[in-house]
Amino acid sequence: MTRTITIIAMAVLLGPVSVSAQLRGRDVTDLDASNSGRGRGANPAAKTPKEAAPIDLTGYWVSIVSEDWRFRMVTPPKGDYPNFLLNPAGAKLANEWDAAKDEAGKDHCKAYGAPNIMRVPGRFHITWADDRTLKIETDAGQQTRLLRFGAPAANAQAAPPSRQGTSVAQWERNALRVDTRNLLPGYLQSNGVPFSANLTMLEYFDVIKEPGGEVWIIDDAVITDPAYLVRSVKRSTHLRKQADAAGWDPQPCMVR
Amino acid sequence: MFKWAAGTLAACVVLGAVPASAQSNLSGVWNNLGILNEDWPDRLPGPELGDYAGLPVTDAVRARADAWDASLITLPEYQCRVHPSDYVSSFAGLRIWEERDSASQQLVAIHTHHFAWGTERTIWMDGRPHPPEYAIHTAMGFSTGKWEGDILAVTTTHLKEGWTRRNGLTRSDSATVTEHFIRHGDTLTLVISVVDPKYYTEPVVRSRDYEYEVNGDIGPYPCEPVEEILRPNGAIPHHLPGANPFLTEYAKAHGIPLEAARGGAETMYPEYRKKMAAMPKPDGAAK
Amino acid sequence: MTRFKFNVAFAGLAFATLGSLAVFAQQPNFDVVEVKVQKAQGNVYMLVGAGGNVTVQIGAEGVVLVDTQFAPMSDKILAAVRSLTQGPLRYIINTHSHGDHVGGNLKKAGATIAGGNVTLDIGDAAQGAQIISHINAYKRMSAKVNGQYATPTGAWPTSTFIGDDKKLYFNGEGIQIVHQASAHTDGDSLVFFRKSDVISAGDLFVTNGYPFIDLDAGGNVQGIVAGLNKIVDLCIPVYGQEGGTMVIPGHGRLSDMGDVINYREMVTIVRDRVQDMVKKNLTLDQVKAAKPTRDYDPLYNTPGAFVTGDAFVEAVYRSLKK
Repeated sequence: MTRTITIIAMAVLLGPVSVSAQLRGRDVTDLDASNSGRGRGANPAAKTPKEAAPIDLTGYWVSIVSEDWRFRMVTPPKGDYPNFLLNPAGAKLANEWDAAKDEAGKDHCKAYGAPNIMRVPGRFHITWADDRTLKIETDAGQQTRLLRFGAPAANAQAAPPSRQGTSVAQWERNALRVDTRNLLPGYLQSNGVPFSANLTMLEYFDVIKEPGGEVWIIDDAVITDPAYLVRSVKRSTHLRKQADAAGWDPQPCMVR
Repeated sequence: MFKWAAGTLAACVVLGAVPASAQSNLSGVWNNLGILNEDWPDRLPGPELGDYAGLPVTDAVRARADAWDASLITLPEYQCRVHPSDYVSSFAGLRIWEERDSASQQLVAIHTHHFAWGTERTIWMDGRPHPPEYAIHTAMGFSTGKWEGDILAVTTTHLKEGWTRRNGLTRSDSATVTEHFIRHGDTLTLVISVVDPKYYTEPVVRSRDYEYEVNGDIGPYPCEPVEEILRPNGAIPHHLPGANPFLTEYAKAHGIPLEAARGGAETMYPEYRKKMAAMPKPDGAAK
Repeated sequence: MTRFKFNVAFAGLAFATLGSLAVFAQQPNFDVVEVKVQKAQGNVYMLVGAGGNVTVQIGAEGVVLVDTQFAPMSDKILAAVRSLTQGPLRYIINTHSHGDHVGGNLKKAGATIAGGNVTLDIGDAAQGAQIISHINAYKRMSAKVNGQYATPTGAWPTSTFIGDDKKLYFNGEGIQIVHQASAHTDGDSLVFFRKSDVISAGDLFVTNGYPFIDLDAGGNVQGIVAGLNKIVDLCIPVYGQEGGTMVIPGHGRLSDMGDVINYREMVTIVRDRVQDMVKKNLTLDQVKAAKPTRDYDPLYNTPGAFVTGDAFVEAVYRSLKK
């Protein structure tokens, strides 16, 4: 009897702990930390991020612009940014945007930085640059994002700010989580909606399949920039998988 | 003593390692009014007349929208018409809760309640089939769901005629809608794909984001129709073919080529930007 | 009311009836058609098979049928009714005279499921279920075509009305049979089960095609529009055009006010478009060429549709020219 009660009690106590995998908030499983191969006790059989990928993001993908059409397919007029809640500093910059000045300058790629590039209509080619780095190339603006698994080593020299910034990737359940910072200031929208160098972006990349066979990447982005935004911007972008590189058309950045 | 204790511990480890549910729990109150960072003009004030850009419309639904008159919704029988389930996520709060069998704790259904018109929907998770074709259609339709990993995939049929935009772009009652509910932390993304071969040449795909509200609450949405404008019984406001004077306003206001504003599948693709660049802007376009 | 006979005054009526029935000459293979039962609301069910939908009201007093489909479907229809109740068939109400709605009258009227078929009319005691229709529907069914009656005499209505409506009380609820003049035909009736809150609309309202306006049988688009408006006026939804009063269409799926409103919108708009062109003195060919149904054709002008877009436009045109 005592034995039976003990068995039942232990099952009750221990059973639910690992049975429930219900997600009630961030559920970070840093596969990369355990698979890094660095430090003591590294598991020689650990998978690389490429091997451990729960979803396949590789291939050619195309923007299907069924949302925000007039903000993405054309450059909207100055001052037209209803999707964004800008603070006075941000609104001032947005309302003073000068397209001609940008065109006369050398940098036409301010709207092609990481916080906006996934929303620029175009095609995307995603590959593994190596076992620990996913590479996203775009034909629009000919940009390259490198999503590196694992935090930079403590003694590594910080990369200078760049248009695509520094992106740290990790698998989180069945999705790819990407944290991006270290950006050059740029635009959240092609008509000069500004973001600062302090912007941080959290993305989740999911892959879904429709009954008709179409495969989609859903890129969920949360953009935080207290310098210009009253609150974080959340937007999700859908890209449809293509069988091949059809339509791949590298173009330079354009102001308008 | 030691043997049975070890055996007990082993049993508990096995029990604990029983394949865990990979599902998400979507329950709670979710809101998006504060994060309308996509399609804000379309979703809140409403789309402009003649804006069909970015949708794979057919000639038939273009004609349908060209005839549409916003005065239609002043008719008492239209005033409380609810947003269909494939459109209602465009704005406002959403409550999601689970229904479980009390004995087995198996998930029977997931329910949603939208602030907009207080519409409620049941997503059946118990594998039941969809009704026959002669069963009634509703604004919420008949929905069944399944987990794809931790993403909830929902299929809805038996929808009443609805809309893809609130400017006359109709979605027919023959459509099948697929939704994917994706949760990451306190963000819920709903990806909606509408397959409606009657009126659209390709699936209409859009995504809507919500954020979790710890203290969230959804208010009531009473709606009582009243006679606002006296009309002859049976009068239906609409524009005769070729007689709608508002169809070029959108293009002119935003400096968009008229042809582009008319929509069609090609307007969704990146290469259309090049084609548009060669098109004339409409006369009187805003600079 | 006892059965009474009319003298047929117009041979054209007979031709018209035959013409209407001839439309249904291409009939399905009844052997493979199944009858499906769909509960509408309260005591009322919808049967779907070949031909028009059948409405069934059941209760302690027996059975009411609204319409009876094609004659070869009678056994299956009766079997479907039997799956719901063993009560006797007391009343048949015909929404109009077309063969896909009245073809089963004869067999069903004589059917004894259980008990006697006593209606409330002494004269009809043990004569079978009473068949009720508007007088014009009776005239069409009893017209002679090439020397023969359009429908067998045993299938003729045994009780007709000439005013706006006829009322019954049966199985604990009022049943209002409302005449709609010059709509699908000149003999149309809506049947409103007031407590069950179900309207049987006949071919005034269908969900799977354009309305068939039987001009030769006295139909007219203005009557269709008026009839649809009448249905809308009778309906009370729960909320937002949905729920509440259920509507059983002549063909197609179970519906409610929202569905009727969508259909009414289509018919009214097409009518208005054709009317505008009639005012401008356009010919029928010119009106057809303008494609006034182009935005609705994907919904209603489907392959094999009973009424094509062009046929609907022509019927509307001719209606308005009368």
